[in-house]
Amino acid sequence: MGAFVNALDQEPWRFIISFLVIVVLTLNTAAILTLAERKVAGYIQLRYGPNRTGFRGILQPAADVIKLFVKENVAPGKADRWVFLAAPIAMFVPAAVIWMVVPFAPKAVVTNLNIGLLFVVSTTSIGALGVIMAGYGSHSNFSLLGALRGAAQMISYEVPLILSLLGTIILTGSLSLSDVVDKQAGGFWHWYIWSQLPMFAVFYIASIAEVKRVPFDLPEGESEIVGGYQIEYSGMTWAMIQASEFASMGLMSAITVTLFLGGWQPPFEFLDLGNFDWIWFGLKAALVMFTLQWVRWSVPRFRMDQLMDLGWKVLVPLSLVWLLVTAAGTLIVG
Amino acid sequence: MLKEEERRRAETVVPGGRESGRLARPDIRDEFGLETMDMNMGPQHPSMHGLLRLVLELDGETVVRCDPVMGYLHRCQEKIAENRLYPAVIPLTDRLDYLANIHNEHGYCMAVEDLMDVEVPPRAEAIRVLMSELMRLASHIPSIGFLLLELGAFSPILYAFRERERIQDIFEAITGARMMFHYIRIGGVKADLPEGMEERIWNYIESLEASFKRDFIDLIEGNEIFVARTRGVGKLTQQKALEIGLTGPPLRCTGVDFDVRRDYPYSWYPNVEFDVVTDEAGDVEASYRVRVKECYQSMRIIKQVLEKMPEGEVMADLGRRLRPPEGEGFGRVEGPRGEFAVHVVSDGTDVPYRVHYRDPSFVNMQMLQEIVPGHYLPDIMPIMGLIDPVSGGWDK
Amino acid sequence: MAMPQIGQGTLKGMGITLKHLLSKKITRQYPEYKRQMPERSRGMLTVDMDRCIACLQCMRICPDHCISIDQTKRDFDGSGKPKPFAVGFMIDDSRCMYCSLCVEVCPVNCIYHTEEFEVQAYSRLELARQFGERPVDPTVDPKPQVKKKRPVRGGSKGKAAAKKKAAGKEEEAA
Repeated sequence: MGAFVNALDQEPWRFIISFLVIVVLTLNTAAILTLAERKVAGYIQLRYGPNRTGFRGILQPAADVIKLFVKENVAPGKADRWVFLAAPIAMFVPAAVIWMVVPFAPKAVVTNLNIGLLFVVSTTSIGALGVIMAGYGSHSNFSLLGALRGAAQMISYEVPLILSLLGTIILTGSLSLSDVVDKQAGGFWHWYIWSQLPMFAVFYIASIAEVKRVPFDLPEGESEIVGGYQIEYSGMTWAMIQASEFASMGLMSAITVTLFLGGWQPPFEFLDLGNFDWIWFGLKAALVMFTLQWVRWSVPRFRMDQLMDLGWKVLVPLSLVWLLVTAAGTLIVG
Repeated sequence: MLKEEERRRAETVVPGGRESGRLARPDIRDEFGLETMDMNMGPQHPSMHGLLRLVLELDGETVVRCDPVMGYLHRCQEKIAENRLYPAVIPLTDRLDYLANIHNEHGYCMAVEDLMDVEVPPRAEAIRVLMSELMRLASHIPSIGFLLLELGAFSPILYAFRERERIQDIFEAITGARMMFHYIRIGGVKADLPEGMEERIWNYIESLEASFKRDFIDLIEGNEIFVARTRGVGKLTQQKALEIGLTGPPLRCTGVDFDVRRDYPYSWYPNVEFDVVTDEAGDVEASYRVRVKECYQSMRIIKQVLEKMPEGEVMADLGRRLRPPEGEGFGRVEGPRGEFAVHVVSDGTDVPYRVHYRDPSFVNMQMLQEIVPGHYLPDIMPIMGLIDPVSGGWDK
Repeated sequence: MAMPQIGQGTLKGMGITLKHLLSKKITRQYPEYKRQMPERSRGMLTVDMDRCIACLQCMRICPDHCISIDQTKRDFDGSGKPKPFAVGFMIDDSRCMYCSLCVEVCPVNCIYHTEEFEVQAYSRLELARQFGERPVDPTVDPKPQVKKKRPVRGGSKGKAAAKKKAAGKEEEAA
């Protein structure tokens, strides 16, 4: 058995297995999250979500995928065809690729980059490009508005996102995500959320803004610009955009869990499951995703200028101040 | 050439709209070739309270000009009413403001009773007031829900519709239909309340009072995002509101103390005590507060009516064929959106010669053209929440 | 514009939604559960043909022209005097708006509302329900028969002339 596992650890098996795991994980996260979102929405709104397809609605994602596959992909007549079709792909790729550096269990990470965090933040920026491509390529007033809003929002919320990571980097001493999780060993009082609570809040809010969910879903503003940058997409192209949004949501939850909530570390030492610690990782990520959905169905959305005010005037100063505090604390305590 | 004319016309209607921003400086405008963007928030839109087309001219995110185009739901109701017998017009009036049907029927019946000089029995008047106030509840609560739906919160509207469904169940037990009641008739109401209905309404009002604060006040009022989106948006002065001719909650939220139920009392309203709710601020948040307090006043009125309901018959004796004398009749009621008035002209036959509806949604919508320019694009939705129009109302 | 500080109000709101998430749901699972319709509920119309006297009142008052009656005279009880009889009676559900005007105006109470509300069919013509012996064509707009009146002394003024004017307007509109 040990020899078999060692054989699998060699190329090219490692590559094939990792590829399959990443693709399956991303797409299934997106699919299952559509169902979870609708069920959570239903329960908050005093109704059941989808509960007719399959047992308690469990086959609903399959029904959705089949429906979207057989729908016609309509594009506006004057749309720039290449840009229009490339945009969903540009939005989906970052959400899929970043899973490569996320550690699921001790020694179960696709590639243990020693600049893991740098890779994460730089790849997230490509999402903004996808939004602009979608909005511009659609050749429509509403899409253009949505694209401009999306670009402004995503680019300006990357600053607090990155600044809030710097605290954990100082505490860890390295940019590798596996090291970040290893340093949080020892039960849940060692998790970074306690010493970095303001940074956690900043990162959480900035990640909601990066994923463009309520209360920051103005680029997609359903009430005024009915879909914003994704208004002209239908069928599988729209499914790709939605899948990328849900997959990013799952990904941001995973990064939050890795950085602040201890990754695959169990909350108490005696609950350690060894190689099955990905169960802890999954539970924590699911909890964070639930809170994201809970926020979505409870609060209204911001207006553009209030959104920018929040990003630049509240989150950036807060993260800078706490960065100073962390640095000073590390210097003093040693 | 035509665009210049349009611009001049727009500037006279909207004094403040064009003076802000880069467009006001011709040197910047010409050097960079800046233009406004014409956009159409078209009749197919999920948040337009119906079929409304707004022709917008945007400078970035700021609205420079806003022209509403109405008429996508026009059903020629006033013309059809000229071909129908007097009692057969009542189902038509049901379909005007379809979120507050009883008030429409009441207005029309008051107009015809004014024309024919009919005395309505007191029990019928009390039942009419009871139904009107229940309907006001059933209309204000979804209004709050719609305001929040357009701001982006998807849950309060479902709590609101749960309440509306319960009220509609009560209506179904009394009148037989959930929405198009056809209950208030010329000379009274169609039938008496069934057995046990007063108990049921009383219990419902008590349970509503208990859950109203949690679902519609605590969830919304302190919410910072809600406050940031609605405070100072759509600010109306008393002068402007009176100039445009607003009535109802949009007028009362600026501080003008006018309510048809108190100033031109009709039906059983002289026998009940209630306060007219006003607020000083004149913005969207103020209209939300006015509607919430009006819900409490409605609950108070319903309780008083249930306690003091007189006995007697519910329909005046008018004979089978209604043939009013020649003349005119006018009836006005306070609907949840404002003052609803009906003017009926008769020429002695058994079909009306002319029926004219003064609908509050139509008149209140005129403030869009005056107030919206200068605001941002996402502010249009809270302003629609302030007016709270219904497309059956403005289009008839 | 004031900067929003996320804090107490939003968290209190989220607490309320969480409480709703854990409370009993109000969905009624239709069609497994059908609620009891109240006594007075106005569902689909139905006619008791044994009592109908073919007076055409319901046809005249219906605002949407959804009732269509073929009237003949037939001798029932052998008394030698043929009485009006509805040989064709059609109610078009695609037009009915459940206003209950026909129910109120019927002198023998033979047309009434049932509690059924599930009106569905695969084509619009299937929605026209026939109650009489001979089917009535649902694509033809029914016109109430206008009885000819003797000319009234006094010319164009007076009740009868006004009635004729009204009937004429109704015919124009139909």
